[in-house]
Amino acid sequence: MNNEAWLAQRTFHHSNFWDIKWLVEEKQRQGLTISLCLPTYNEEKTIGKEIVILKSELRDRYPLLDEIAVIDSGSTDRTLEIAASFGADVYLAEEHLTECGSHRGKGENLWKALYLLKGDIIVYVDSDINNIHPRFVYGLLGPLIKDPEIHYVKAFYDRPLAFSHGLRPTGGGRVTEILTRPLFSLFYPELTAILQPLSGEYAGRRSILEQIPFPVGYGVETAMLIDIYEKLGMSGFAQTDLDTRHHRNQETIALGRMSFGILRTMFNRLTREQRAQFSGELPKIMRQFNVQDGHFEQVEYLIEEIERPPIIEIDAYMQKFHPELQPANS
Amino acid sequence: MKQKTPVMPDTGADDETPPETENLAALPSALLPLREEVLANLAMLAQIPAPTGEEAQRTQYILDRFVAAGLPEAGPDEAGNAVGFLPGKSGRRTVMLVAHLDTPIPKDADHNVFVQADRIVGAGVADNSLGVAVMSMIPRCLEELGIHLDSNLQFLGSVRSLHRGDHEGLRFFLDHAQRPSDFGVVVEGIELGRLNTFSIGTVRADIICDVRPEYERGYGAGSALIVLNHIINRLLKISTPTRPFTKIRLGQIKAGALYNVEPNHGELGLEVVSDSNEMIDRIVGEITDIVAESSARNAIDTRLDCFFRREPGGIPFAHPLVKSVVNVMSQLEIQPDQAHRPSELSEFIAHGIPAVTLGITTGETHIRRPDFVMIDPILTGVAQIIGVLLEIDRGACDEQ
Repeated sequence: MNNEAWLAQRTFHHSNFWDIKWLVEEKQRQGLTISLCLPTYNEEKTIGKEIVILKSELRDRYPLLDEIAVIDSGSTDRTLEIAASFGADVYLAEEHLTECGSHRGKGENLWKALYLLKGDIIVYVDSDINNIHPRFVYGLLGPLIKDPEIHYVKAFYDRPLAFSHGLRPTGGGRVTEILTRPLFSLFYPELTAILQPLSGEYAGRRSILEQIPFPVGYGVETAMLIDIYEKLGMSGFAQTDLDTRHHRNQETIALGRMSFGILRTMFNRLTREQRAQFSGELPKIMRQFNVQDGHFEQVEYLIEEIERPPIIEIDAYMQKFHPELQPANS
Repeated sequence: MKQKTPVMPDTGADDETPPETENLAALPSALLPLREEVLANLAMLAQIPAPTGEEAQRTQYILDRFVAAGLPEAGPDEAGNAVGFLPGKSGRRTVMLVAHLDTPIPKDADHNVFVQADRIVGAGVADNSLGVAVMSMIPRCLEELGIHLDSNLQFLGSVRSLHRGDHEGLRFFLDHAQRPSDFGVVVEGIELGRLNTFSIGTVRADIICDVRPEYERGYGAGSALIVLNHIINRLLKISTPTRPFTKIRLGQIKAGALYNVEPNHGELGLEVVSDSNEMIDRIVGEITDIVAESSARNAIDTRLDCFFRREPGGIPFAHPLVKSVVNVMSQLEIQPDQAHRPSELSEFIAHGIPAVTLGITTGETHIRRPDFVMIDPILTGVAQIIGVLLEIDRGACDEQ
């Protein structure tokens, strides 16, 4: 399937899946369980609304979700209290799988979600969305429920709209257009068909997510795409247009650090696949500069981009989810 | 669909004597499984801008809710109201629940809603997104509680209620309703305990002042602002009695855009309220004279536009509907507050339909910053509405 064919066949709009009742019936017929994971770190302003709306619409009214869980990186605000008060299961990431140690980062929470949540399908939705709507979840679940060949669905938030002077280009954010898409064009051309590779909302089958490593930091979205692509090719993917998403905009300087993490993740994969070689280990320090009263000050950020192994390599996970594969006690 | 265990007794249309409503105090707890649904409904609704005259998106949202709740009749009427109908077992009575869909918030204002631990914050959540959200949830609540009323329930999300809308949506519906309503309940977001049973007579008007072109002026003021100032001074001299209660409120003034240019257009918005129609007529007559005189003396165009008139009236405190509402509030430990506040109640009064206005929770409403509503009391407010419906349904509110 070339990029254009893939785009035509595997690009959906959330309105394709408006019939939530059908999704529930089909989910039940297939015997699927579905978990929603909301990774958080100090999201008291938005987490309440996300839980209230998604729980009400997709668990209470239509039982599409079997569980809604917040997995937190150690918030110091009221995120956990608010989440619990509206009925979400709340987990502090560092308190689980302690034998594996603890790292702080979104990817860490997503990885531990595979152990903590029970669903055959995991939906990941960022917790900073102002205009949260059930479509953010059912739009991602629709392709997975509809087509068993699809294993991973990515959100995007823009559509090529007809303008008076023709089509306007669609695209992602600044990091996507300046960094990720050029890199994909160079090394993984097929993945350029994923319109917003860095979007924070996606859903996947446990059967594939448990087989891939998770960077704990900025690179988790990029890594997921590359690693699932390596295993399934483009036939494992779909993407859904969720219309608009309102969230906090990050400053350019923060995007610089994000880009550093993504580059490290990308280079890890290129060296792993022997498509690039570097002499020695790549630096983990990102340098940026502040100016104050005419003086320039260098600020160093340690961005390690630690990666968690595929969770099937963790004994506790295998005992919980694949006990049949455990060696019998002698 | 799972079978619900009724929290309240079936009101039994065929019984000779209707049963007393009992166990009302347990209703808020019984509604707890619907708490997030009510809050979600409020959050999603409040994020849809609906300034007066632009309520279509909210109308559609509410109609979708009606359909999802299984109402056999749901659709828009000619005025654009969201109309739903839930037939009762016998349909002996018809009770109408209405909540206005429009808000005083401009379309381009930030409509983002924040759900905090104890409250929901956002533009228009108190006035009147919460009222609409609760009104549209009543069929779900009845289903959850296993209550099947004998009475028909007529639901209306009304359009063009505020300001110059002048209750246009509700008035249209009442004028053209195929099934006359026997009782009305106006649902407002705040305050819990609000019990409005009467409507003060009200006239709302704008005094519009346009300075004539320079060549047409004889002598007189060059600024619309100065003319309005003269008019205000004259209005303040109009005598208003303490009894019957009468008051002139100067509520709005609009004139000018720049510091260095005297405005040639100005508007003064005012309201005359009174328990007496005669008093309103007298005062409006005096204002008309002041405006006409000012126009002539200052050689400018000034006119009075009375765009809203509401007759005084209502049901007496001794009316069984009022007694029943007070009884319901008492069982739910709600303190009744019968101070007058404007609402769509006046339209029911004008149509001779016994009605009350009830609030759902505590909170605050604002124009220049977001409203908030407290979460905890909401289910008590919902229980209160259901309690009143049960009282009406068992005939406790019928006049002898």
